[in-house]
Amino acid sequence: MMRILIIEDEKKTASFLHKGLTESGFVVERSGNGEDGLFLASTEQFDVIILDIMLPRLDGWSVLEALRYRHIETPVLFLTACDLVDDRVKGLELGADDYLVKPFAFAELLARVRTLLRRNPERQLSITHIEDLKIDPVRHRAERGGKRLNLRPKEFALLLLFVRRAGEVLTRTLIAEQVWDMNFDSDTNVVDVTVRRLRSKVDDPFEKKLIRTIRGVGYVMEEG
Amino acid sequence: MGLEGTRLPTVRHWSITTRLTFLYGIYAFALLALASNIVYWSMLSNIQTVEWKFLTNKVFIFRTILAEHAADSGTLKQEVEWEKIPPHSGQYYAYYSRISDLSKKVILQTPGFDEALTNVVFPQPVRGDVDESSIERWKSVEGKSYLLISAWSKESKNRATDKTIDVALDVTQEDILVDQYERQMAVVLIIGLMLAVSLGYVVARRGMRPLTEIAQAAEHITASQLHERIDPERWPKELALLAGAFDRMLDRLEESFTRLSRFSADLAHEIRTPINNLMGEAEVTLSKPRTTEEYRQTLESSLEEFQRLSHMIKSLLFIARAEESTKVVKRTWLSVHKELESVRDFHSAVAEEKGISLRCECEARLWADQTLFRLAVSNLLANALQYTPSGGRIVVVVTQTAKGGVVINMSDSGCGIEPEDMKRVFDRFYRTRNARSDYPMGAGLGLAIVKSIMKMHGGKASVFSVPGHGTTFTLHFPPCSEGP
Repeated sequence: MMRILIIEDEKKTASFLHKGLTESGFVVERSGNGEDGLFLASTEQFDVIILDIMLPRLDGWSVLEALRYRHIETPVLFLTACDLVDDRVKGLELGADDYLVKPFAFAELLARVRTLLRRNPERQLSITHIEDLKIDPVRHRAERGGKRLNLRPKEFALLLLFVRRAGEVLTRTLIAEQVWDMNFDSDTNVVDVTVRRLRSKVDDPFEKKLIRTIRGVGYVMEEG
Repeated sequence: MGLEGTRLPTVRHWSITTRLTFLYGIYAFALLALASNIVYWSMLSNIQTVEWKFLTNKVFIFRTILAEHAADSGTLKQEVEWEKIPPHSGQYYAYYSRISDLSKKVILQTPGFDEALTNVVFPQPVRGDVDESSIERWKSVEGKSYLLISAWSKESKNRATDKTIDVALDVTQEDILVDQYERQMAVVLIIGLMLAVSLGYVVARRGMRPLTEIAQAAEHITASQLHERIDPERWPKELALLAGAFDRMLDRLEESFTRLSRFSADLAHEIRTPINNLMGEAEVTLSKPRTTEEYRQTLESSLEEFQRLSHMIKSLLFIARAEESTKVVKRTWLSVHKELESVRDFHSAVAEEKGISLRCECEARLWADQTLFRLAVSNLLANALQYTPSGGRIVVVVTQTAKGGVVINMSDSGCGIEPEDMKRVFDRFYRTRNARSDYPMGAGLGLAIVKSIMKMHGGKASVFSVPGHGTTFTLHFPPCSEGP
């Protein structure tokens, strides 16, 4: 059971994070100010801390500094409303593990949290098959129902990402980042077109559909 | 925009009017003083010349009489006792003379000599020619001024008959005249100085009036009247330059201002559409009980609108940051070919679907931020793909200029851009009429981001288009001044 601490004073934000993370299978604790948050973080054991920067009483940077000073190395994900470079650099220098700029998609946050958890005790995802879909990452081959799929390199990379992160909602930004190494938000429909082409090969000829669209968020690969 | 800019150092000096008044005063006074001094000195020297001439002349006459008419004591007497002469013949001067022999015994003297010249001491008698250097000035007890001269009569065979000639000229009147003139001159100079200063002030004020007026004209221009101009034609030549510069500054200000207000209006409009969708959908959904599926659909639709808004905010913030130039550009050496290939790869699915051929030919090295460079090219390419019809082509040509500078041309075979749109395609939210109707989902920020990225790299983005024949976007990266 993974435990997450949310230190966030904005009630609505804290509330939807709490709800979303709980429903994703995490145990969540909440704190509305820096001082209480620091106390909780240093007395109890957490796997990830989600930390807002602008907090009453003690700001996020001070909380992080105090934690690292006490040798509490829990991964910290910063939430910030301003994406000034200085802020990011400062956060990362103080020992934050990642940051997200508001507004962010919840799926994005979930993905980052999972990445942080994975990073901690290294858990190599070696799943290479889902249902009747099999993937051979070494030889860049994929087959479904015994039939080999004729995929282009990027389509294969996309499929591999889906399979490795099965059950996780992947946002368009994340897909662009992971598959094409494009580290920016793009309002093009490139990802959708590629996913559609992949589906035409992976899902369309089969009755059971694996890739599902989550409207307004992204895509997810799920077992029936 | 760098409005925080540079202020000129504020050293408080005298006002120009004060300075001009001061200068006018000094010059006018100096000229006046010079002129009156010249008049004074020439008058003084005229008077003196006349006086000297009179005295030397008298000595000459006495000498002549003594030498040639020694026997004629009447002539001498007449000459000495001038009073006997009826007052005529322009005789202005009162003078006293005395003839004495070697033993200082007075032979002849003007009546009243001793009374007028009590205790007088004449200078040493001169033997030869007399000139102004032998003349001395003396003041009597009564306060009258005299010029004194003393001379020997012409040398005789034995000196025993030599006589001394003493002549004293009363110059009191002349001295009074000069004194009077000096006083008048002082008065004239003081009045002149005051006049010079006050007239100088008036002239300076008059001269400065255009400046005051131009300031008033400038004062008149407010944010709501930015279209007004000072008009260089209206002003004297010296100010026309200033007025022209001011007008050009206003041109630029007005343009920025118009852009800014148009941006605000566009922003409000762009936000209004998704908000309107959100409100409407939520309201309608809530108006009566619905199935879970319907609620889900409403929420999903909302999420899409939120995504749009969120993306818009991120883009706007990006552009704003770029303009504040607080965003750090992390430059590295890039292989333009490699970067273009990966961007092309990213967009290849869309290009293939539309049957558009993508060609890039090039190799160049560029000193730039990788993510930003990719974003710029990606936005340009997305733009080109959107406006190029199926079966078209997009060609990218890269030219390496000196020292890490690169020019990237991206030409498409699309519909082209009308000339009046060309100037504004890089503006935030600006979309051509075609773009608005054909692709309502775009926010119109892609090219604005491209422009910002180029600005962050010290370069610029430009566009050239022939409507109906396609468009060429050009990115100019300047040669690097930093880095290896």
